[in-house]
Amino acid sequence: MSVIEGAIVYSNLLVLLSVGLTLTYITTAVPNFAQGSFAVFGSYISLTLLRLYNLHPYYSLPFTFVLGGLLGLTVYLLMLRPLIKREASVVILMISTLALDLILLGIIGSYSDSLAQFTHKSASRFIFTPYDFNLAGLSAILLVSSLVIFLSLFGLFLLLYKTRFGVALRASMENPDLAEVMGVNVEYTRLFSWFLSGALAAMAGTLLPFRQEIVPSTGAIIIVSIFAASIVGGLANINGALLGGYIIGFSESFLTYNLSAILGTGILLYSKVISLVVLVIVLILAPRGITGVNWRRVLWKKSSSQ
Amino acid sequence: MEEVIVTIALWFGFYTIVSLSLNLEYGFAGIPNFGRALAVLMGGVAVGGIFNRILIYAFGVSGDIITASAQIRSMTNDLIASNPVYGVGLLLLCLALAAILGAVTGALFILPSAKLSEDYLAITLLAISEVAFMVCNYNTAIIGGYYGVSTPDVLAFVPGEERMVAFTVVTLLIAFLVYVIVRRLTNSPFGRLLRAMRENESVVEATGKSVMVLRIKTAAIGSALASLAGALYSLYSVNVIATSFSRVEWTFYPFLMLLLGGAGNNRGVVVGTFTFVIVKILLTIYKHEIRTFLHLPFEAVWLEYILFGLLMYFVLLYRPEGLIKERPIFTAPIKKVVAKIRA
Repeated sequence: MSVIEGAIVYSNLLVLLSVGLTLTYITTAVPNFAQGSFAVFGSYISLTLLRLYNLHPYYSLPFTFVLGGLLGLTVYLLMLRPLIKREASVVILMISTLALDLILLGIIGSYSDSLAQFTHKSASRFIFTPYDFNLAGLSAILLVSSLVIFLSLFGLFLLLYKTRFGVALRASMENPDLAEVMGVNVEYTRLFSWFLSGALAAMAGTLLPFRQEIVPSTGAIIIVSIFAASIVGGLANINGALLGGYIIGFSESFLTYNLSAILGTGILLYSKVISLVVLVIVLILAPRGITGVNWRRVLWKKSSSQ
Repeated sequence: MEEVIVTIALWFGFYTIVSLSLNLEYGFAGIPNFGRALAVLMGGVAVGGIFNRILIYAFGVSGDIITASAQIRSMTNDLIASNPVYGVGLLLLCLALAAILGAVTGALFILPSAKLSEDYLAITLLAISEVAFMVCNYNTAIIGGYYGVSTPDVLAFVPGEERMVAFTVVTLLIAFLVYVIVRRLTNSPFGRLLRAMRENESVVEATGKSVMVLRIKTAAIGSALASLAGALYSLYSVNVIATSFSRVEWTFYPFLMLLLGGAGNNRGVVVGTFTFVIVKILLTIYKHEIRTFLHLPFEAVWLEYILFGLLMYFVLLYRPEGLIKERPIFTAPIKKVVAKIRA
């Protein structure tokens, strides 16, 4: 896999994860610290299907989509909705997703040990790269991840902009109270966003082992990149997640690789530092992310000062 | 049995320091510090990275930090064994280094809060702490990374079998000091100002106080205190290794103890810490027994994670104010007014 290919694949996966994070943030106003573990949950579903039924990870994508979605729904219904009903503050909700992350880590870890005992093959550390192949000179993961991202985003935009449900969804994302007055059931928006967030994250989890090794605690490592992607783009805007995902994905893999030519290969270990630096720079310049900036006003100020 | 009690007392000491420092920052000042582990890690860096280097320079030992530290350990241990004053002096030096490094890191680390709202701030602090953890883990030049560095045993003059008890006494003493400091701070005009900031920042600004300066002061003090725990923990295990400063152990668990006990109530936090530590240490000590008894096909540590995650959730859902509620402020003038009304 060339560096550019790797960067595109990684960015695609980050976009899948950060779009989900942004969606749930818009509808429920809580940054989900368990988004990384949602992905690892998907990785383990694919691993199970591969080990038990010899199903190629690419074919397990529909299963992870559905199961990941159900996980997202369960989390919202059992965990967050009761807290929201009791009018918990944002910090309390954030702490509850931290707790969720720990619970998921415990479940995934114990599942990984049990699976290893059942199949007599270690499951605490795995990678799917041996199952990848080449299609027309490009690695299959590049095509598959691009296809997945294209289909999910195309589907999402069709839904949001071409259906009545989408209009209701966008209305309740923009202004929940007003939408409720107009007869929209805001609860549906939340259910939908948590389903989709879980589903997209789990699909990213299926594809992630093609690029990096997965351990039960991988979620804790990738969460920094996911948040960086969402915040750089702007947590309040889905398009922002798209933009942020590619910015962080490319700076983490492509920029780091190019820097290693100047500063030595040691820097490759510090790819997360690069995304943190990008995050901090963006937050200083634009605390609401790139899409949170009123660009028309910035351009107008520039032209009027000349 | 005796060993179990000593272990509980030791960890109660470490965790009391950290959860009280978090109480100052989150319970009183309302700063959602999701990066508490960073300050504790700085305690480890102060011992493994700075204190060790000072000794290496003083003794003129050559070589990289990992091998030189091992040499330093045997040299200083001999010195400390023959002269206890030396050991106590080094212990105090370590604590001072940790407090200074912690305070500086805390003050710098909170700067993003100038521009960010609560949720963005929490994410940024968590990201900074997580990245610092990764750097210390991968880079073997700071504190030996995943190999770890050894540190001198500052209590080398105590015979081997009593070392743990002696260290527990030292830790509990410092935890008590931290309790006194936090209590005095929070029962002062400064503490009331912090509570006011938590409830409404605009009101504090309107009275002419700078919210940012208040936040920097709080984070510096809180991080300095938490660093003490990191330094003590490193000196206790005579080994600094980055992996032992994980987010679960030093950010999530302190939050659990704090919320279990009651945010904004120092006595409650101590009770919460004590409850948590008993459960945690018993789980850790009897993990093999639990595993065989329940026929678990997996490591008991995963069970611990699920259990503490659920405990946190139920505390948030059913008892968000904690075991002991935060009490209203009774200053001398208010007491006078109350007495007048009653009379």
